[in-house]
Amino acid sequence: MIPLQNNPVGKIMIVGGGIGGIQAALDLSESGFYVYLLDKGPTVGGTMAQLDKTFPTNDCSTCILSPKLVEIAGHPNIEIMTFCELLDLEGDPGHFKAHVQQKPRYINMEKCIACGLCAEKCPKKAPDLFNTELGKRKAAYIPFPQAVPLKYALDPDYCLYLTKQKCGLCKKICPVDAVEFEQKIETFDVEVGAVILSPGFELALTQKDGEYGFGRYPNVVTSLQYERMLSATGPYEGHLRRPSDGKSPRKVAWIQCVMSRDISRNRPFCSSVCCMHAAKQAVLTRSHLPESETVIYFMDVRAHGKGFDEYVERAASGYQVQYRRSMISQLYLNPQKDNLIIETFDHHLNNTQEEEYDLVVLSSGFQPGQGWKTLADRLGVSLNPYGFACGDFDEPVSTSRPGVYVCGVIESPKDIPETVIQAGAAASEASTLLSNSRKFLKTDENKSAGEETDEGKDAEHISKVGVFVCHCGSNIASVVDIPSLLSEIEKIEGVALAEDLMFACSAETQDRIAERIKKHGINRVVIAACSPKTHEPLFRKTLKQAGLNPYLVDMANIRNQCSWVHAKDPKTATAKAMNLIRAAISRAEKLEPLTEETYEIVNNALVIGGGLAGMTAALTIAEQGFEVHLVEKTERLGGFARNLTHTLEGHSPPKLARLLEDRVRSHDRITLYLNSELSEHSGYIGAFKGTITNEQKEHEISYGAAVVASGGKAYQPMEFNCGQDDRVVTQVELAKRLQKDPQWPKQLKSIVMIQCVGSRSETFPWCSRVCCSAAVKNAIAMKEINPDIQVIILYRDLRAFGFKELYYLKARRQGTLFFRFIPEETPVVYDDGGDLIVDFTDRSSHQEFRVKPDMVVLSEGIHPVSDNEKIAGMLKLSRTPEGFFLEAHVKLAPVEFPTAGIFLAGLAHSPRFVDEAIAMAKCAAQQAVKILCRDKMKTSPTFAVVDPDLCSSCLACVRLCPFGAPFINEDGVAQIVPAKCRGCGICPSECPARAISLRHSTDDQTVSEIDALLKKASLDI
Amino acid sequence: MNLAFYPGCSLEGMANDYARSIIAVFEKLDVGLVEIDDWTCCGATAAHSLSDAMSVVLPAKNLAAAEKMGLDIVSPCANCFNRLTYSRKMLSKNIYDVPWNVTGKSKVHDMTRFLAQPDMISQIKDNVLMPLKGLNLVSYYGCQMVRPPRITGFTDYENPRTMDHIAEALGANALDWSYKATCCGASIGLGRRDIQLTLSARLIQKARQTGAEAIIVSCPLCQANLDMVQTEKGSQKVPIFYFTELMRLAFEGKACSIKNFRMHLTDPGPLLRKKALID
Amino acid sequence: MEQVTEKKDTYTPKEISATRRIIGDRGEYFLRSVEGETMANISACYQCERCTNACPVSIYMNINPHQVIRYVQLGWREELLRSTTIWVCLSCEMCTTYCPNDVDVAKTVNHLRNMAFRSTVPPAEKVLAVFHETFVKELQRFGRVNEFWLVGSLNSHPDVLKEKIKTGALKEELFLGLELLKKGKLKLIPHRSKEMKKIRDICLKETRGTI
Repeated sequence: MIPLQNNPVGKIMIVGGGIGGIQAALDLSESGFYVYLLDKGPTVGGTMAQLDKTFPTNDCSTCILSPKLVEIAGHPNIEIMTFCELLDLEGDPGHFKAHVQQKPRYINMEKCIACGLCAEKCPKKAPDLFNTELGKRKAAYIPFPQAVPLKYALDPDYCLYLTKQKCGLCKKICPVDAVEFEQKIETFDVEVGAVILSPGFELALTQKDGEYGFGRYPNVVTSLQYERMLSATGPYEGHLRRPSDGKSPRKVAWIQCVMSRDISRNRPFCSSVCCMHAAKQAVLTRSHLPESETVIYFMDVRAHGKGFDEYVERAASGYQVQYRRSMISQLYLNPQKDNLIIETFDHHLNNTQEEEYDLVVLSSGFQPGQGWKTLADRLGVSLNPYGFACGDFDEPVSTSRPGVYVCGVIESPKDIPETVIQAGAAASEASTLLSNSRKFLKTDENKSAGEETDEGKDAEHISKVGVFVCHCGSNIASVVDIPSLLSEIEKIEGVALAEDLMFACSAETQDRIAERIKKHGINRVVIAACSPKTHEPLFRKTLKQAGLNPYLVDMANIRNQCSWVHAKDPKTATAKAMNLIRAAISRAEKLEPLTEETYEIVNNALVIGGGLAGMTAALTIAEQGFEVHLVEKTERLGGFARNLTHTLEGHSPPKLARLLEDRVRSHDRITLYLNSELSEHSGYIGAFKGTITNEQKEHEISYGAAVVASGGKAYQPMEFNCGQDDRVVTQVELAKRLQKDPQWPKQLKSIVMIQCVGSRSETFPWCSRVCCSAAVKNAIAMKEINPDIQVIILYRDLRAFGFKELYYLKARRQGTLFFRFIPEETPVVYDDGGDLIVDFTDRSSHQEFRVKPDMVVLSEGIHPVSDNEKIAGMLKLSRTPEGFFLEAHVKLAPVEFPTAGIFLAGLAHSPRFVDEAIAMAKCAAQQAVKILCRDKMKTSPTFAVVDPDLCSSCLACVRLCPFGAPFINEDGVAQIVPAKCRGCGICPSECPARAISLRHSTDDQTVSEIDALLKKASLDI
Repeated sequence: MNLAFYPGCSLEGMANDYARSIIAVFEKLDVGLVEIDDWTCCGATAAHSLSDAMSVVLPAKNLAAAEKMGLDIVSPCANCFNRLTYSRKMLSKNIYDVPWNVTGKSKVHDMTRFLAQPDMISQIKDNVLMPLKGLNLVSYYGCQMVRPPRITGFTDYENPRTMDHIAEALGANALDWSYKATCCGASIGLGRRDIQLTLSARLIQKARQTGAEAIIVSCPLCQANLDMVQTEKGSQKVPIFYFTELMRLAFEGKACSIKNFRMHLTDPGPLLRKKALID
Repeated sequence: MEQVTEKKDTYTPKEISATRRIIGDRGEYFLRSVEGETMANISACYQCERCTNACPVSIYMNINPHQVIRYVQLGWREELLRSTTIWVCLSCEMCTTYCPNDVDVAKTVNHLRNMAFRSTVPPAEKVLAVFHETFVKELQRFGRVNEFWLVGSLNSHPDVLKEKIKTGALKEELFLGLELLKKGKLKLIPHRSKEMKKIRDICLKETRGTI
């Protein structure tokens, strides 16, 4: 991607406001561009907003999404355009004219204050699409409480006035006169430089299909409906019930691969994510209803992602989720109970078992939404036969139309982290293309906090605390007695206002809080809601908006710590909530206004690792105008890809490596260090310093951000006589042999491949993701040269996810035989008088077999490189027990680390395919660009400070700090570098002279908080 | 409008009550049935068990005859329908040695689907003299009429509705159940009666569980099978009607004699009297 | 169906146990020939067992439908022709209808049944095999199949007679026959087609004189 020189428009249109679109919007707006974020519905949020919880952490999906929603809602460089669809695109990259159609909302967005009166009074009910039609909503509606923008809309298919010119009640009662029945469809043009398509997906299963009686039997639901059924904001308010009679199900079954891996329905591909969401839903079901029984009917457990196998294992052994490897044909209804009967053949008992379930969940595959094909045709974006805009292997988010990019499920079925990665990659493409029109971000656009407040007034303050108690829908309010809390809070001295809020985190609520602060002269704020970890940054912004110093807010986590853990004991939950709120009020009174410091940014980057990911990251950063130091340990670039021959889809990774190498070597903004290692690293986000060492010399460098792409390595097996018998080779060795001697398979009669060698074992418990495809690829290659060769693949779960399933099918059609084994019956390979012999047991025919192949090929796993340990130590990064790097958040921050300014890409993160590694590298590079494109950086004001009068220079802090923040200054006393300090609190607690105090967690603040907690509970309801 | 009528072997013997009810019913409808002259056996399960090619060629005689008549074929028997349809489809490949000339211009209709077309349903409604009010029944389609869908054309193979629509047009309550197309085992009844009895008895039990007082069928073998299996004493009997028998009953009202049902082994008399559908 | 907590079997290498089978090289040939004649997509199977779960008579089979597909892939003709599976199959087409890979399982089983008739392998379900043959014989006699004559000629087959006397089925069938006769459900005089020669020629050619 070369930046355009023709003075391009620095604006990007993103079509589809799901998590992919949101992430791309944030990445671009933080990189100095203006974003139009279109959604055809009334709100952004996409499918992720409909999910209940996300694995593996079982975080509430809305809870991790809504901070992002709030961020885009308030972002000055993002314009959210709801009810909008892109119709057509004219022009060329850099200068597109986008034709947009906007359907009417029938509510004036400027006027609507989301009071909800219209919905309350609306007499007409409509199917609740957000709740997957499991319930009803009014014809005047918001889809969900955290919707962004939080504006009501009228449903033209149901509204009595819009359908029959009757009623009009909402217009009469709207206090702000926002109802506009006369709104019409509008079309207009928008000038943009690039377009990102992230329209998401819909379930492939419809009632028309008749599959498993969906639409015929009331207690058969889709996976997405089940998410809503589990959700606290869903139709059953988080109490798991079944549709027919509202009873809690005792026995729930999941059927996998519905409308997936099904040639007879022309859906021969795998939808990639259903195995994991079924596992998650079963785990959640078991935690909702511990006495329930959960059974998953499946073919292969496709747990090919990082930590996925571990989660499935936890589901099976920890939560007793039963896994049954059996595809059932149809569901039968027990008409008396509306239960569903599943018939399966039991091989051990040799009979057909009838099992009855209260509820059956169909894990439906995905398909592109309505209208996508028309749009793609108009835009000239070519699609695969199933309507997906599959990216190329070297340009995974590009389409056939230059300047138009894709991300998320519309590219191919994928999960949230891979969508987020592609969103970052798509943003990087647009950002590179338009980089000559980037507006560099100035920190004075966001004035540092302290400057805005009148500190003098604060110094001698009499605290006036405003307390806001959140209902969190029903999350808190259904357990904790909020009215009692409020009346109790009002009695506390110093409290100027106590008020409850439906959703404290929703964008519109922030205005209300700010308004209250101003009106009541509040100078300290307590929010009693959820976790400060996710939501404190939001409320700090709100304080700033209200003209208060953002650090004058404290939170009481009455959801996680009260209503959730004491759900069955509302009295205790309420009493505890009161205690926590009292403590928070007490602490809030002692809070001091804090100011943020700023410092200059070093506008270049360090990339560790010269493989495909490293080179891609370096190029992505360099092409956007920033200097890059690229460090490679070995004497050549290309990394893991040099070992490969071609991919399943027929592309050549070594060729790509050579192309990238040429570009890297000729790029004048990339300084390449071969045979080199990073030997020292210090500093902090925006201003790192490091030393690159090779045999000859050391280079001192400085950089504002770093990308770790240290790669991975192929496992060298010792199992199955590998290394001793030269007839036993690895897939990489086989592929090389095939490349060197293409006619060689003609000399062979029979070959056996064994999967999961160095993967999914006790020693190496992770799935290496790529080996199933490697085996399928080599099987196809051999069969194409010699159709008579017998190829036998021994596998455990064939994880050919997404469109790789098509190649699995091709291999089967070519006659490759796939036999499934279990770890307890691992195949045995041995030499018998010169004959190579493989003994194994097939689990589907329950037959023991023996083969005498010419060769045995082991599908070796991908392992982390040993250097990771050193890098992790030097850069203070965490790793997984397996030795891969551990990202900041599995779902929404897959390329970030807890240590700011350092990003992660490629095999260093986890085993992955080339296209996935490339996307990840682009995403990581874009995160670096988000730092480099600023002039200054702000520090967190919550750092530790040393009182020089008390310091005895004992060096305790210097030794203990994990981030290297303290040092002994010229005066011989300890000093702490604010930008490095992460505010962890180790040094203040260890300092023997008690010379260190942590701003925002001072002794004074903590003691008063504890004192308040220890006061006898006054709320005795 | 006329149709070439292919009764099939069973309608001459075990299912001659089916044949009579069909003739009675079609007399009232605006469709004429012209029996194919000298029709021969479709080959049933046995022919394809021995030779797939034989099962393709044997029905050709009947297809050719219908083409000569210039009429589409209607087949009341599920198995005949399946075999004729399969033969017609396979013959289009022109790889078989066939002594009759078949071009494929005569289509093969299964009788239920023919009668469930909207205009036929309205004709049926017009002819109802005595609505079958309060009669709770399930329709049973069996295998051969609906499967495999790419031969039979039943895309809703799990939940076919043709007989349900007809039953509803007659005023009966057609209950939904999951066993509409679950095999009754008839095809191996003469060799493995144990299997056939197990499968059929289960269907009767499931129908009772659904609250059905009767089952309507269109397949002679299914009828015989489900009819014969209800020998045990004491249990609630579920009469097995050909759907055309109930059409006849509704069309003729009280004029319809109980004698029309004399061939049933499971006597429908008590049920029909209870529902006041017959004197 | 199989629980994931699968049973662990002990393993003794070198000794080929009675049940351990060698995968030879004849699979490919047999697979391609059956696939060629049936167009049944047999190689596409991924062993999901949907056919076996759909089959109403799996429990009466010694080789389940999904295993039939596997055995064809392995070229195990003999086992298949000796199986009860090919005879108890009802041709109900559940397996084919529900197969996600468009494998025509029913057609495959039927093809094996066709092969069995032409082979010297004795059928595992003698009466069922004789039934099919008798049916076609009757068809060859009149062009239509008369139920009364069919049952009569089936039961006069010595093997069938022996079997049915042994199991008591004969007595049951006689009583049932009487009942049916009383009800008028049996037609005693069959119709004879005018084109018997053509019909006989077809049967003779396609069964290659095996009946």
